[in-house]
Amino acid sequence: MFKLLLSIAVPLLILFIPVNSFQIEGLTIIEKRVIALFVMAAMFWILEPIPIYATSVLIIVLELIMISDKGMVLFRSSDASETFGELLSYKAIFSTFASPIILLFLGGFFLAMAATKFRLDQNLARIMLKPFGNKPKTIMLGLMIITAVFSMFMSNTATTAMMLSILAPVLVLFAPNDKGKIALALSIPLAANIGGIGTPIGTPPNAIALQYLTGGNTISFGEWMSFGIPFVIVLMLIAWVLLTIIYPSGTDSIELKINSTFIKSRKAYIVYITFAGTIILWLTDFIHGMNSYVVAMIPVAVFTSTGIISKEDLKKISWDVLWLVSGGIALGLAMDKSGLAEHVVKSIPFSSYSPYVIIAGASLLTVIMANFMSNTATANLLMPILAALGTSVESLVGLGGITTLIIAAAIAASMGMALPISTPPNALAHGTGAVTSGNMARVGVIVGFIGLLLAFLTVYILRLVNFI
Amino acid sequence: MDKLNIIYVDDQREVLSTLSKDLEVFEKYFSVEECESADEALELVNELDASGGLIALIISDHIMPGKSGVDFLIEINNDGRFGQTKKMLLTGQATHQDTITAINQANIEKYIEKPWKSEELIDSVKILLTEYILNAGIDYEKYTPILHQQTLFTILQSRV
Repeated sequence: MFKLLLSIAVPLLILFIPVNSFQIEGLTIIEKRVIALFVMAAMFWILEPIPIYATSVLIIVLELIMISDKGMVLFRSSDASETFGELLSYKAIFSTFASPIILLFLGGFFLAMAATKFRLDQNLARIMLKPFGNKPKTIMLGLMIITAVFSMFMSNTATTAMMLSILAPVLVLFAPNDKGKIALALSIPLAANIGGIGTPIGTPPNAIALQYLTGGNTISFGEWMSFGIPFVIVLMLIAWVLLTIIYPSGTDSIELKINSTFIKSRKAYIVYITFAGTIILWLTDFIHGMNSYVVAMIPVAVFTSTGIISKEDLKKISWDVLWLVSGGIALGLAMDKSGLAEHVVKSIPFSSYSPYVIIAGASLLTVIMANFMSNTATANLLMPILAALGTSVESLVGLGGITTLIIAAAIAASMGMALPISTPPNALAHGTGAVTSGNMARVGVIVGFIGLLLAFLTVYILRLVNFI
Repeated sequence: MDKLNIIYVDDQREVLSTLSKDLEVFEKYFSVEECESADEALELVNELDASGGLIALIISDHIMPGKSGVDFLIEINNDGRFGQTKKMLLTGQATHQDTITAINQANIEKYIEKPWKSEELIDSVKILLTEYILNAGIDYEKYTPILHQQTLFTILQSRV
């Protein structure tokens, strides 16, 4: 209750402070309202007095009421003074619910839902696991690869749940003091968190990043994967080696059972073909010209018209994830269109800092925040500011400007994985009882730190090859 | 926060006190209520429902003075307000016919025979509560420590 009151009181206070006391020259009343909204969003997402997706909805509704051209009269009337600022178009705020990013994710949901419904995931896991034998060490590598690949297309949470359900019966067979158990249970959330970086739809922060990379900075699905996949492979191998060293297994062999066979029905074949087809289309935009957002709607159309996804299935879609992202987009929109983002960035002498310090500082802040709160909410809060930084700070341009900053931050947002509360996959693994918070923190901090360095290396290489 | 309730019904004091000890682990997350007869339990569920409480699980004995456990559970099963409520019969004296009625008409999810093993009962309760929470549209996150992990994973993997 205290959290809720505090999260309401502080933004309210900001609303009532006179504009000229902010020490930002030319700050408008609209911009001041956006500051209050931003502070509210930050406090609600950090303290979580209400669910994080509800905060997103609140942001959109408050924007509509307080800063839109169809808002409440009380907020619209101005005495025509120059310091009032421009009201936002209410249509632009509404359209954040259906922005291309949201629909890209919806397409991803449809693919994942159809794959799960027709047990494509279980069957692929069974086949992919075969070559890894029965030694704990190699099986762990196999599990991590499967988890990472799946989490690129399915939600990290669903992937973790599936892999842990395969793993859980084996975990109880381990001797109580066998550290191999810890390694196995940790390997799944690690791989899910890392694997999410692989594609734009792997995890929401990636999609939010794409939202800010527009115009000349646009990155296609395939281009994202061209650096995302190598990043995932390298970091996952490092994580695997680390786990085998820190938590070696005393067991010689383990047996994982996945009871599943490929479904051979007309519908199942449509799922297999659509799944493969969509991924191929995502990677070949340069041939057919359809961007990833347009391609994402193809599985939606195929699965609904063939009855593979029924209207009952539609209810299972994680609207909370979609709305969480929408709220972030709306917040970014308000900061950008009101001119606040640029205003604030200009009033702080960022240009006097080394661009390296800015990139490192931004990524470090992202990873720290992502450890303690939702990765998506972190991206929602920080990306609009970073986007403004990237376009207005001169010295950054030489290092790739906005693209460098945004990609580094997107990767950093997925590196927050040191605590059970950091990500849902971590919470699930912690729930098995095989892993203590200490175990998780030790590996999570090391992998997160290495991942951050690797993110810098990634943008450095991308810059070298003139990609950004 | 939605208040989730576990209710157990038995006419014997000793059984109630053993059950209360077994169900202690759930007290941090659920309100655990005991009743000595089916009628008392019916009154309680009505009262809880009217005050916005949710009935997650009912554990009932069969042979009791007044209304029998199976009859009580049939009533619950036919009551639209408790469509999601999980039902467990915990008895040593149900006849073959009683058992058939309990399965076919009361739609019980679990049958445990007296005397029971603590771990078995707790495990069954965990499974039923996990299913209840995930199917009744309740945010499961804060209940994670008390949920049945395997059941949780199985249900979660079908969610995108």
